[in-house]
Amino acid sequence: MTVSSSSREAILAAIRMGTATTAKEAGWLHEAYQGLPRTYHHAGSLESEACLSLLVERLREYGAEIAETTPQALPDAIAAQLASTGKRRFAAPAALSSDWLAPGFEWHVDNDLPTDEIEHCEGVLTGAAAAIADSGTIVLHHGPQEGRRLLTLLPDIHVCVLLASQVVETLPEYFRQCIAPPELVTWISGPSATADIEMTRIKGVHGPRSLHVILVHDN
Amino acid sequence: MTTAQPHAELDPRFAPPFPQAALTVLRNPQLRRNVAHAVDIIQAKRGRLVAEKDDWQQLRSAASAIRSHVLESLGAYLEEFEVRCTAAGGIVHWATDGEEARRIILDILRQEQASEVIKIKTMTSAEIQLNPFLESNGVRVHETDLAEIILQLGEEPPSHIVVPALHVNRSQVREIFARKMGLPELSDDPQILTAAARRYLREKFLTIPTAIGGANYLIAETGSVAVVESEGNGRMCLTLPRTLITLAGIEKVLPRFDDLEVFLQLLARSATGERMNPYTSLWTGTVKGDGPERFHVVLLDNGRSRILRRPVERQTLKCIRCAACMNSCPVYRQTGGHAYGSVYPGPIGAILTPQLQQLQHAQSLPFASSLCGACYEVCPVKINIPEVLLELRSQVTRQERSQARRFFDPLYLGLRLANFLFASPRRFHLAQRLGRIGARLFTRKDGWIHSLPSVGGKWTLTRDLRGLPDETFHEWWANRKKEAR
Repeated sequence: MTVSSSSREAILAAIRMGTATTAKEAGWLHEAYQGLPRTYHHAGSLESEACLSLLVERLREYGAEIAETTPQALPDAIAAQLASTGKRRFAAPAALSSDWLAPGFEWHVDNDLPTDEIEHCEGVLTGAAAAIADSGTIVLHHGPQEGRRLLTLLPDIHVCVLLASQVVETLPEYFRQCIAPPELVTWISGPSATADIEMTRIKGVHGPRSLHVILVHDN
Repeated sequence: MTTAQPHAELDPRFAPPFPQAALTVLRNPQLRRNVAHAVDIIQAKRGRLVAEKDDWQQLRSAASAIRSHVLESLGAYLEEFEVRCTAAGGIVHWATDGEEARRIILDILRQEQASEVIKIKTMTSAEIQLNPFLESNGVRVHETDLAEIILQLGEEPPSHIVVPALHVNRSQVREIFARKMGLPELSDDPQILTAAARRYLREKFLTIPTAIGGANYLIAETGSVAVVESEGNGRMCLTLPRTLITLAGIEKVLPRFDDLEVFLQLLARSATGERMNPYTSLWTGTVKGDGPERFHVVLLDNGRSRILRRPVERQTLKCIRCAACMNSCPVYRQTGGHAYGSVYPGPIGAILTPQLQQLQHAQSLPFASSLCGACYEVCPVKINIPEVLLELRSQVTRQERSQARRFFDPLYLGLRLANFLFASPRRFHLAQRLGRIGARLFTRKDGWIHSLPSVGGKWTLTRDLRGLPDETFHEWWANRKKEAR
């Protein structure tokens, strides 16, 4: 692949000409960036219980199914939630704790599953990286507990285990808690949807049509 | 099945001037109902969700400042993005114009031996008319966004940047799908229509190994790209193919990953009236074992670096394409998008299109506004659209005035005459007296002028004019003093 360097130089020269009065040295850039006004809310104001109820309320508004449980009762809660879907074939990321893989279901653990096999699964069970109550958002960084991106995309049902300690109230709080920027992120706010026909919201276009969240009160 | 012809009505070089194009729409009550219905719903939802955010104005200020800062230092941030993206396994290409971008993309597709591509909705690709170019070079393009499928199968041009098929209603969608998907029994229930699109696309997602998409944000710090969507077609295109090509305008860059905390709060609320869109994806180059093996980014200038040079117009490039300006615009609500003769309609299109065309085309667009300021008020990055409209109007006027053939144009003749008359009080008073006599000929008994001849008729075509009073203020003032004596 040849990358034309002349266009690159031409564009950068044109940009420099356009920004000659404003662009300065690298040190200036950093300082100017630091000086940008950020007076919006950074932290939330809710107690942790209220924050969790807000998340649940938001998720319900999006049409997600919610179950709440404790760490001890989690395997049973998972089994119950999976059973409620009426489906049998489930995919799971390789690093998922083995007691999450409830008996009585056909498990397809992702040790490099072929795409066809993932597509063939009716649902998927994963963990999460974080959740944001204010917007009802589940965040996946596609680590070992969350699986690669395809895994939470092709199956029609996504059952997601979320720890209460992973929930923050506002989006800026989520960004503060990321130690380094992740390579991959999917922010999921309710099941896939469209309003392209007469602004009528239709749940379930190409992504999973149902989202089940199991909230574990771990603190 | 798909058209290889570009939509000439959305090519600013060939589109008729706005007032002429708008007339066609104004005479189509179905289209006007469809557009008004859609924008009213989005506006109401947006209003509710913005009201619940008590730091909305602070978020707007932050977003505006970040975007201005990026534009001030665009070169540095683009170079940083290039270095990081390349280090993460991406290949960065630079295209000075649409032709070069199309060529780069076709070369990649040839190298991949791709005869078909799946595509995420991207207005930038519509800007450079990528689909007709690829089709004419033997590459089948499959749009995957529901609205884009409706348009592609129905051979309709887009009329909005977020909800491109908002001018098409459910029975029209039913008709298009029934015809093109071979489903004569299809109902017009949006749920059923959406399911039909899901089935239609599923196999394409799973089998076509090359995808083209756009970018909502390029992150300089990490070389990551973010795409904001609702349906999951974006996730499919970003994850399943072997090769992914992202086409992005050079202005799309943000300094850091954390800056998304501002934009993700503003975009969905402004665009669709949701707290957050269902899916936002971010990826960094190529990731082993997850997603495409090859990733190309084509950075498109196509007139943007020229806009940077102009202090007033530069703010146009702050745009994050939320479409709140068109949803709030009283002109757009009446005319819909096609009248703007560009893939970018509404107030943002009225300022962006003429600038991308270097004012050689689309000169009527800066005048397609009542300057009410609603667009500025809702803009999440505070683009002062009325200010840019006025600046562009003055440029268009200057350009026109200097043309020899406009010398006897009644408008400019009139303005030169007015300039002469207003320059001296004596001439002005004389003109007032003569004008009063002249106006009497046209003033009806009710004291209003309902129609004027010649150029004046353009004004009275749509409005009435109050007749001139029997006495001017100056005369009344002078007479009052005399009476007092």
